[in-house]
This record gives sequence, structure tokens and C-alpha cells, in this order.
Amino acid sequence: MAGPAVSAADGNCEEACSQADGYTSEQLLIDSRKLCMGVGTPKEEHMKKRLLTLGLAAFAAVSMSVCAGAEENGELVLFTWEGMFPQEVLDTFTEQTGVKVIYSNFDTDETMLEKLAQADGGDYDVVIADDYIIEQAVSAGLVSEIDKEIVTNFGNINPLYQGQFYDPEDKYTVPYGAGIPLIVYDPELVDFEIKGYQDLWNPELEDSIAITANYRVINGITLLSMGKSMNEEDVSVIEEAGQKLQELAPNIRMIQDDNTQNALLNGEASVAFLYTSQVTTVLAENPDLKVVYPEEGLGFGIMGAFVPSQAPNAEAANKFLNYILEPEVAKQCMEFIGYYNTTGAADDIVDPSLVVPDSVSKGEIIQNVSAEADEAYNKNWTEFKAACGE
Amino acid sequence: MKKKNQWWLCIAPLYIFTLLFVLGPMIYMVAVSFATNNGDGYGFQWLFTLDNYRKLRDPVYLQCFKQSFQLAFSTTILVVLIGYPFGYFMAKLSARGKKIMMFLIMVPFWTSSLIRLYGWIIILQVKGVLNTVLKAMGLIEKPLKLLYSYPAVLIGMVYALLPFMILAVYSSVEKMDWSLVEAARDLGASPAKAFATVTLKLTLPGLLSGVILTFVPSMGLFFIADILGGNKIVLVGSLIQDQLTRGSNWPFAAALAVILTIMTSLMIFLYRKITHVKDLEGIF
Repeated sequence: MAGPAVSAADGNCEEACSQADGYTSEQLLIDSRKLCMGVGTPKEEHMKKRLLTLGLAAFAAVSMSVCAGAEENGELVLFTWEGMFPQEVLDTFTEQTGVKVIYSNFDTDETMLEKLAQADGGDYDVVIADDYIIEQAVSAGLVSEIDKEIVTNFGNINPLYQGQFYDPEDKYTVPYGAGIPLIVYDPELVDFEIKGYQDLWNPELEDSIAITANYRVINGITLLSMGKSMNEEDVSVIEEAGQKLQELAPNIRMIQDDNTQNALLNGEASVAFLYTSQVTTVLAENPDLKVVYPEEGLGFGIMGAFVPSQAPNAEAANKFLNYILEPEVAKQCMEFIGYYNTTGAADDIVDPSLVVPDSVSKGEIIQNVSAEADEAYNKNWTEFKAACGE
Repeated sequence: MKKKNQWWLCIAPLYIFTLLFVLGPMIYMVAVSFATNNGDGYGFQWLFTLDNYRKLRDPVYLQCFKQSFQLAFSTTILVVLIGYPFGYFMAKLSARGKKIMMFLIMVPFWTSSLIRLYGWIIILQVKGVLNTVLKAMGLIEKPLKLLYSYPAVLIGMVYALLPFMILAVYSSVEKMDWSLVEAARDLGASPAKAFATVTLKLTLPGLLSGVILTFVPSMGLFFIADILGGNKIVLVGSLIQDQLTRGSNWPFAAALAVILTIMTSLMIFLYRKITHVKDLEGIF
């Protein structure tokens, strides 16, 4: 199965999913893993899975309707997390094209891949998921190329989010929002201007920074501050980054993944390194805070939409991709989900806080690395935390 | 014969339960600690290796043990200093007073310990109760950064574990034979000497039981360090959790758990050696 989820945006997506239902994403991850380990003939396997799925009544209801619906014409099965689209947007699509949208949700990327593989790339017409899982879906042959004759709005995409590792030639995906961890600070409490990651090491910030707890992201920004890649594989370079990371320890006030933004609001920290949803939340509470798009480059995670290889209604699916790339639609969607706008043509009309400034031209996605490199990243993180506690 | 069999059946479920859910997982844990981690993502292989234990010698992990030990040690000292006198004087109260005290000690347990910890955040945070009070009294000008520090963690630990010490000492003092103290005094011992030679010795099982009940859990109460310490202090408990989830290195987590189990068992072994008492006082 997939390695640990390391996409930078992932924290946010998982947050959204676990809010949607009582399950934590880990639980479901485990569920999906259990499913994989079962043995038996394909048919038994299928039955077993069904039985387990039945446990989640709502889940089952959705998948049934998926099976029934996909056979008829004029329907489009959209497979993504819950709460990814405002209802008006889907209704308008139905009005314009006569295609009824059936919204089917999954809880984690891994569940999505599992179900899509089970259906051999069929059953679903449009899937929206995280970058790293799309890479796996593409290599498993479950994704079909986009029909650019239909998707005439393809040029509307902001090139910053194109040519990424999961789709280097931009053949398979349309980005649908990006999560970018950013630095936010209170200019009243910080006497100098923070421009990039390097400024976090400034001794003036002693005991004042709150950071998120994703070990790859924190290792990544240290590497970026050294002019290296977030996905560095060279263990000696990673160890060097570990040394540098330890020097950051005196400035760290707290390390926390949930509601990290509260540290800024209640005055515990004057600087914070936050996930996208946290940045949006904190700015809504206190618009005087300053957001920094670090000059060394961004680390981000992209959610991408694709058409599965055996999509029952591929034509409608491509029409849908074209539709969500229309500036007005993109604006509505991005403002609804609160992620960074990936449709460049909508930059002028969308909420300005969801637009990455033009000055930013570099961005990198965190990917899975070799076991040795991952071990080194893990060790850096433990050493860093130990240094923080001293 | 038949009667005997039936009697045996009554306690069988308990034994089966213990074997299945206590001993079973323990054996599994020890076995996993010698297995080989896959490295990429989840899972491990049943290939015998000592690497997981060798890895423990890494300074960063030794540091975690040291930090856990230090925190547990400081917590225990503070808990003894506060808890012993508390339990001692509580045992000397009137029957009614004892009842009220006991009630007051028990009441906080009706609330989840997690929620009580969040209460400490409200007290300690920058715009919190304590800073507001100190500022109003003119004692400080700028709010103090009390939260997410070592003292904050220590306060949380002492707060969480103090009741165990109080109850252990209380039960020990309460059943003490006071005539022995009187005899010592009659024979010319000063109050201090009588306390040191008689009272302290007789209540030692209670005191040491309290020490065990404080020290052992404080090696594992990592959520206090996470919540009040801002995740900055890596205790063995949080290291294990980290390795099980994010680090996804189950064999190493198992090795850490085995070492922790050995350390705590050693504590209980020492307790029995010193006190010649089999069960911990105050809870059994």
C-alpha cells in the first residue's frame, strides 16, 4: 500500500474529511488496509469488501446508487471528498448540459484508489484527489488522457501548478485547488520584515514561533532555506539540514498540527507556519496579520481532477472538467473550499487571499522518498523536538 | 470432584482473558521488537534482528529516556513533598473531615483528565487567568510566557499524579498503630525522632507505593508534555506513539516499549524488595 501520506496539502484534506464524518482518516486508512490483506477468490474478495462496506450504511447506499446510476446515459458520477463543491455549481452544470451529477464521496485517497482499482477504472466519471495518489493511479493505468478538444479552457490553468511530478506532461489532470503552508506573523510583535524561511532563524524570534507538526514539511522548509530541494535524497545533505533545524529550536514556542493558528490569536506566538485552511481561518479572525510567501519557494500540495480510464460517461466528464475551469465557476469553488486558486484566469475575481502573488514562481510538492532518506528525515525530526525541549 | 470442576470454571474466564489480552499482546510486542522493519511505508517482516535495540544507543533516543527519567524524577520528588504531608494530616482529621477530604480529592476524577489539562491552559496562557491577576496586582508589566515550558509540564504532571500519592500515604498512616509513636515519645524520643524512627518507617510502604504510582505512569503520560509543553519535550511515550504512527516503524516502537516495560517492572521489583509488601498500598 501507499507509504505515509506526505503531501503538504494533505493535512488539510484529511482535516476536511474527518470533519465530514465521525471517522478519523487513520481509522479508515486502516480499514482500507485490512481490505487489502484479505485473501480469497476475486468474487469472494468482492463479497467480503461489500460486507465490510455495508457496515458503513451511508457508504453502502452511495456505492449502490453509483452502480445503478452509471449505466444510464446523461449522468456523471463525481468521486471526491465530501464538501468539495457548492451545490449551485453542480446544479448549473446540470442545467447547461442536461447531465445529472451524482456526488459520491470517499474519506481518504487510499480508499479512492482501492475502489477505483476494484472497478478497473470504471464506475466513476470524474475523480478529484491528492497529487501523490494520482501518480499511483496513473501508473496503475486507471487514468485516461484529457480530451483537449472538449476541455477548451485548459489554458486557464495557472502554469505554477502544471508539469508536476504526477503529471509531467499535463496529459491527465486539471488542478482543483492547492494547499500551501505559509508563514503568518503579527507585525505589531515582530520588529523586522519576514520574507522567507531563513528569517525564522532570526534570534529576535526567540520562543515565539508556532509550527505545524508535519516532519517532511518542516524538514522541507529547512532544505529550501539552504537552497536545496524539499525531496532531497542525499542523506548527508539531510543530516546537514538536521543540524540547521536544531538551531531553530530556541525560537520554537510550540509544535502542533491542529488549530495551530490559535497560538497567533491568543498571543502565545508572534509567528506561525500554518496550513492553508489555518491561514484562511486566522486571517478571517485578524486581518492585520501578515502572510509571507517565502522567497525561497513554496511547498505545496495540489488536488487534481482526472477522468478514470473506463469512465462510463467520458464525454460528460471532460465537459465537467472544462466547466470547472471557467473563471466564474472556479471562483465559486475555490471560495467554497478555501484553497489556493489554481485556475489562473480566475485570479482577478477570486478572493485575493486565495491567490498566490505573481512574485512566486517556484513551487515544489513533497513526494515519497527512499527508505534511507525517510529514516534520516524522521531522525532529524526527533532530534529537533528533543532540542526544543531543552 | 464435580464441585471442584465447577468452581474452577468460575475463574476460568478471568484467566483466559488475562492470557489472551495481557500476556498475548506482551509476547507479540516482544516478538515484534526483534522483527525487521520494511522501511517503506507500513509493515515489517519476521526476520530476526537486533537492530531495533542497537538503534536505542543512538544519542537522540538515549536523550529521550534521560528526559523522561528526569521529568518522572522531578515529578515524583514534588509529589512526595506535597503529597506526604497532605496524606499524613488527612489521616489525622476527624471522621467527618476525612470524608469531606476524600470527596474533594475524588471530585476532579469525574471530569476527563484531558479537560482538566485544558483548564491549565486557560490559567497559564499569555492572556490567561494567572497573567491577568498578576498584571492587575501590578507584579508584572508584560505577560509571562508560562505555557509550553518545562515548569508548565511539571505542574500538569504533579497535578495529575498527586491524588495517587495522597491516597497511598493516607491509607498507610490511617492504619498505623499510634501507640507505637506514643511509646517512643514516652521513652524519650523527640517528636522529630519519633517521626523518623517510627512513623516514617511504618508508613514507608504507603510512601513507596505512592512513589511507584507516580513514577511509573509519569514515564508514559506523554500527552501532558504534548499539551502543556507544546509538543517540545520528547518522552519515551511520545516517541513510541511517533514510531507507531508517523514513523511507521513498529519493530522499533516495540523495542522502546519493551525497554520501558523492563524499567517499570524493575521499579516494582525494587519496591517489593524494600518493603516486603506484595501489593501496592492504596489501590488494593
